[in-house]
Amino acid sequence: MADVGRHPNIELHAYSEVDAVSGYVGNFNVTVRKKARYVDVKECTACGDCEDVCPITAPDEFEIGLSTRKAIYQPFPQAVPSAYVLNIDECLGNNPIACGKCLEVCDKKCIDYDDKDELIHIEVGTVIVCIGMDVYDPTPLDEFGYTRHENVITSMEFERLINSGGPTQGHLIRLTDREQPKTVAFIQCVGSRDANRGNPYCSNFCCMNTVKDCLLIKDHYPDVDIKVFYMDIRAFGKGFEDLFQRSKDAGTIYIRGIPGEVEEDPETKSLKLYVENTTEGTMECHEADMVVLSIGAIPRKDSSTIQQLLTLQRSQDGFFLEAHPKLKPVDAATQGVFFAGCAESPKDIKDSVTQAGAAAARANRLMMQGKVKVEAITSTIIPDLCTSCGICVKVCPYNAISCDTKAKTPATVVEAACAGCGACSAECPFGAITMKHFTDVQIEAQIDAMLEVDAKDKVLAFACNWCSYSGGDLAGTNRFQYPPNTRLIRTMCSGRVDKRFVLRAFARGAPIVLLSGCHFADCHYINAVHWTQRRVEKLWDELEKKGIRPERLQLEWISAAEGQKFATVMRAVEELRQKVTAEEIEHTKKALAGVLEPRKPRAATKKATEQEAAAQEAA
Amino acid sequence: MAEETKFKCLRCMSEFRLPYRHGVTEERTCPNCSSNSVRRVKEDKK
Repeated sequence: MADVGRHPNIELHAYSEVDAVSGYVGNFNVTVRKKARYVDVKECTACGDCEDVCPITAPDEFEIGLSTRKAIYQPFPQAVPSAYVLNIDECLGNNPIACGKCLEVCDKKCIDYDDKDELIHIEVGTVIVCIGMDVYDPTPLDEFGYTRHENVITSMEFERLINSGGPTQGHLIRLTDREQPKTVAFIQCVGSRDANRGNPYCSNFCCMNTVKDCLLIKDHYPDVDIKVFYMDIRAFGKGFEDLFQRSKDAGTIYIRGIPGEVEEDPETKSLKLYVENTTEGTMECHEADMVVLSIGAIPRKDSSTIQQLLTLQRSQDGFFLEAHPKLKPVDAATQGVFFAGCAESPKDIKDSVTQAGAAAARANRLMMQGKVKVEAITSTIIPDLCTSCGICVKVCPYNAISCDTKAKTPATVVEAACAGCGACSAECPFGAITMKHFTDVQIEAQIDAMLEVDAKDKVLAFACNWCSYSGGDLAGTNRFQYPPNTRLIRTMCSGRVDKRFVLRAFARGAPIVLLSGCHFADCHYINAVHWTQRRVEKLWDELEKKGIRPERLQLEWISAAEGQKFATVMRAVEELRQKVTAEEIEHTKKALAGVLEPRKPRAATKKATEQEAAAQEAA
Repeated sequence: MAEETKFKCLRCMSEFRLPYRHGVTEERTCPNCSSNSVRRVKEDKK
């Protein structure tokens, strides 16, 4: 950290928060709120005189409340920059000055009670999100008695307790009597791998953290008995199994089973753990002087703020979602944004360092080029047709479109930020947005061509490039049989499928139309697939109003790995097609005849009106 | 907590109840045939 602080090419903004981010890859504008420290960082020598005279004491956040700090303090011993910070909410010296002792004693006079937050604007080319994680609060798991029994602590608290720089200088003591415990019990998977109470995912590092703690205790206090209660020990990394074996050889007892109850002896404050030993098949009671709850990781509580600032995706567990789990494991879906550490998923130090190195390399590679390759398939606004309604701005998952709805200026697309999902084009009610390489005319021509002959025998399917179309490919390569009358139209995203395409297909005599895209969690365009679902739901209503059975429009989410599902869906859809009668198709064609007429653009500007009039005159 | 609402599968035509939150788009699957063509049935308020 000190190296980072001194590095000539690194500008460190400690005690600061990101307020706003605008722009796109290569041109991000970041607004940083540098919080008021009330101490001049350049002048402060961290001598500690102010801390000595400060009369206020508060729980030390770094020591998780196991010790206290003053109102003016250094956040932790190796903090960079090495300067003090004043918590103005706790300080007595603020408005009106009632104390002021720190100011009196400071030789450098570097304390300023009138310090204010400062906004700094930075231009950056790439952003690496490394906001870390929070830890699970085990208080709701009442059976373990955390906060009820003083000798039940979390693994984070234990970490500070045995740290040589911690509140006890690394001496292992019980919190109740300050005596060294004779037996320590660890309970694994607290708040992890439980969908009903806690989180369903494995937090990755807790098993090895416990193994490390056991070895540490055995190294310093060989007489202390250690029992670890677990579901499975996941020692999958390099050298981890060896470490696990070493801890067993050192005398740590591993018991397979999570205690159902932890009881405290009111006099001795020792604890009894009732557990079903699933290896032995017996109910057991174990005694311990101290219980350590091995708590899992949870996403940072401010993750949603960062998500909104950078238009990121999050997986169901709440951690940020990478652009691709195998091919782009450190990239965000938004170009120029990368992840490092537990922001993306819970991981240990080694994996965090590896990912940070990869993210830095990815960012560096992008910036060293000096130029960014933008997506060839992007949306383009036709200014004369744009009414500045702002729908496209709302739809765009990448915030790539801007539009001043009050000034009524046509929307504009930042092509570097546009990923080319086409949701804007499909949602624009005025046909004012076109997609390069996937224009309305091109897609409509495909529909017409596919349904030109024997339309009643065909199933028309729109498939997104990344998942459903690849699912179809997989079905083909795996020789999964599906009806040969399926006609696929590829779009980059199912969000590109305009309702007019579906209606056109019906008007051309399609008995069944299938719209398929990625599963919500796999959407390659952040959340464009949500617009697909909304559009289809509206289309079902619209079809019903026109006397067309809504089931003739099918919706399916098929991933690239679901070749079998693709074939199954196609067979099911073919069965539905066979039930559509010729009369029904004729009725549909009549009811939707209007959609085959060219779209009449709503002239937004005077110029467009004039152009339209001139064109009509010329015609 | 999301309230349960009636849904209809547009493939197998079975009706079932699923959690529904107004304004939230979620991936839904028919418990009978696994189709994603699941449409909300607007229930009359009694």
